[in-house]
Amino acid sequence: MIRKGIFSIKTFFPFFFLLPFFIFQISCRTQTLKLREPPADRHRPHDYIGKKGMVVAAHPEAVRAGLNTLKAGGNAVDAAIATAFALNAAEPFASGIGGGGFMVIYLAEEQKVTVINFREKAPAKASPTMYWEKGEIQNTWRRSHGLAVAVPGALAGWAYALEKYGTMILGDVLEPGLRIAEQGIPVSQTFSQINKDEYEKILQNSGESTAYLNDGFPYEPGDIYRNPELANTFRRLASHGWHDFYEGAIAGKIAEAVQRSDGIMTLADLARYSPIEQPPLTGKYKGFTLYTIQPPGSGGLHIIQLLNIIAHWPVQKWGFAETSYIHHLSEAFRFVFADKARYLGDPDFVPVPIRKLLSEDYARRIAETIIPENCQKNYPFGSFDKKQIAKDNTTHLGVIDTHGNIVSLTQSINDFFGSGIVPEGCGFLLNNEMADFSPQPDSVNSPGPNRRPVSSMAPLILFKGKRPFLVLGSPGGTRIFTSLTQIIVNIVEFGMSMDEAIEAPRFFTYSSGGAARNLFVESRIPPAILRSLERIGHTVEVREAYDKYFGGAQGILIDQDKRILIGGADSRRDGFGAGY
Amino acid sequence: MEKSLKTLMILSSAVIICFLPGHGAETSPGFEQPILLTSAGQSADVQIAGVLFKRAGLTASLSKNATQQDLGDSKTLALVIGVSMKGLGAAGLDLDQEKTRIRELIEAAQNKGISLLCLHLGGEARRGELSDQMIRAVLPQAQMVIVVKSGNKDGLFSRICTENNIPLHEAVRTGEVQNPLKNLFTQN
Repeated sequence: MIRKGIFSIKTFFPFFFLLPFFIFQISCRTQTLKLREPPADRHRPHDYIGKKGMVVAAHPEAVRAGLNTLKAGGNAVDAAIATAFALNAAEPFASGIGGGGFMVIYLAEEQKVTVINFREKAPAKASPTMYWEKGEIQNTWRRSHGLAVAVPGALAGWAYALEKYGTMILGDVLEPGLRIAEQGIPVSQTFSQINKDEYEKILQNSGESTAYLNDGFPYEPGDIYRNPELANTFRRLASHGWHDFYEGAIAGKIAEAVQRSDGIMTLADLARYSPIEQPPLTGKYKGFTLYTIQPPGSGGLHIIQLLNIIAHWPVQKWGFAETSYIHHLSEAFRFVFADKARYLGDPDFVPVPIRKLLSEDYARRIAETIIPENCQKNYPFGSFDKKQIAKDNTTHLGVIDTHGNIVSLTQSINDFFGSGIVPEGCGFLLNNEMADFSPQPDSVNSPGPNRRPVSSMAPLILFKGKRPFLVLGSPGGTRIFTSLTQIIVNIVEFGMSMDEAIEAPRFFTYSSGGAARNLFVESRIPPAILRSLERIGHTVEVREAYDKYFGGAQGILIDQDKRILIGGADSRRDGFGAGY
Repeated sequence: MEKSLKTLMILSSAVIICFLPGHGAETSPGFEQPILLTSAGQSADVQIAGVLFKRAGLTASLSKNATQQDLGDSKTLALVIGVSMKGLGAAGLDLDQEKTRIRELIEAAQNKGISLLCLHLGGEARRGELSDQMIRAVLPQAQMVIVVKSGNKDGLFSRICTENNIPLHEAVRTGEVQNPLKNLFTQN
């Protein structure tokens, strides 16, 4: 009886009237966008699909921030800056307003590519010998000391892009980041591991009570990380404007924190900072045109160099991850590293022979020098730092909007958790980008007043004919350009899908002082191949199967014929993507 | 009927409590200060251990690259296991050199009758091929092992400790390692 009563038409009658109201309520609540989860095995290649727009970044909450901005009518620049603020809150160890970077923007209507360089600058008191004392290089000063902090450029760069190419105001695009900082996010395995790795520096420079530690200890996976001080800083930027960071109360706190840690940055350094808009660096590979950043970002230049060299080889015939392929590319990496050490500096202060380095003749000569039977005895030029610090930091995001505008943005605070120095009460980390200068006073990349240090970053957009084909970038220190080259070849030569190309096993090597260094490989490369590489003369060093040492790339492939966007995000970190 | 059910429940609870992780600490050997604290693998976890010892009211001499000369009058050698390529690079060591340093340090400690306490604080993230090599090499020689539970998801620590009759304490969170540490050193 009771059952019948409950399910009678009469009982449901009022509900039919209320149904539209409920649907409206539910649709309002879904403003907090539900993102499609990748497979449980996060290493299994997974392409994100979209039709109108897409965001790929190193954290799901940052992707959500970007996608919500697109859906709210923002363009690719608005969404990229919203994603960047959200990354500061959700992935604080890799980038933020205390750092800098580069973005490549494609404006669909004008069919124009432009670059915004918001790389950090050395303070005016910087000098080539600033890291020397008693005849020795003081490496701590370069990485976790006030002298390690360069003048941050991120906020000025984001604001420049937003004001010139965006449609929204600063207060709108920082809102999702503010909410993440205030409400918190569950800590991932990646966050926890990095937090543990950098514990000593954080403890020393920020103390046990910092938001970057959980009651004085590293965060465990699943803990909730909140940063109310960062939320307050974002709130202040929304109300006082971004100039407060360079000339107002926040500037005062930055200068004070740096000077308290024996640094040399002043209020005048901060007030003087400005980003630069410049044309992209371009290169060709078969039917493709690559648009990327100019030096002092060296990554793009080296990718073009490498592709120019690879164009001389039958890589498809060799096959992916086969001995010949890995050997030839490794040798090319070593020659390119020699060039990096010899020529790359801030072009505002030293001449960088870009035309020579990118000439086809130069690439052909390198390709012809490399022989299949063994490794070279000498890689001419340069003396790249012999002991490479394993940096795998930085972050990359990519956005495409419904009009076809594109942003490819790579940014960093250099090492994970930067210098570990946090301006009092501000909640953001200051970079240690001064470590990207060479400590050698006679290097083309030595520190000097207002110079920008060389960076391996390489946000890029690859065009097929006249239409955008691939948006790509990665963190990973000096592995950035070697990894991105491998991903491009995986797609263009080996026909891999977007995420397949990102997840495929990687390798890296370099040269120093003319000598070959170890060949680092992910353990998924078969042992038989490694043995044959050793027979040729490589010293192989096997790392983890999916090692963030090799970067954490994000990419979007644009299938112009099917009119779909295919996103890929690296499982070596917390890469994520979403389209609509 | 009801009474016997109650008895059964009490008995089962007692059995469960006995086998709860962490129980091993109560039956573990006592350790004495002074303590030499070092890393086995050059991860930053050794710094976490430093704070844990400090908060437990214990004085540990922390040396990331300790050798047998540093043992001095130590009565406990505390090894924090976890390999970090970054840490090894910064210390100018490769994994083989690090393994040799640790082997020699343990041998010297054993010759001097110094107790060996092993800690694994990095959880699941501090596992992997390289860390596991170090765990397998070092753990069987410990008198006591403390791990953050997520690092023992696959039971590697449990297996080695059971095979070698070593008491094992599992802590759910890093901060919870502080109390068992304190207890270990106050038993004597």
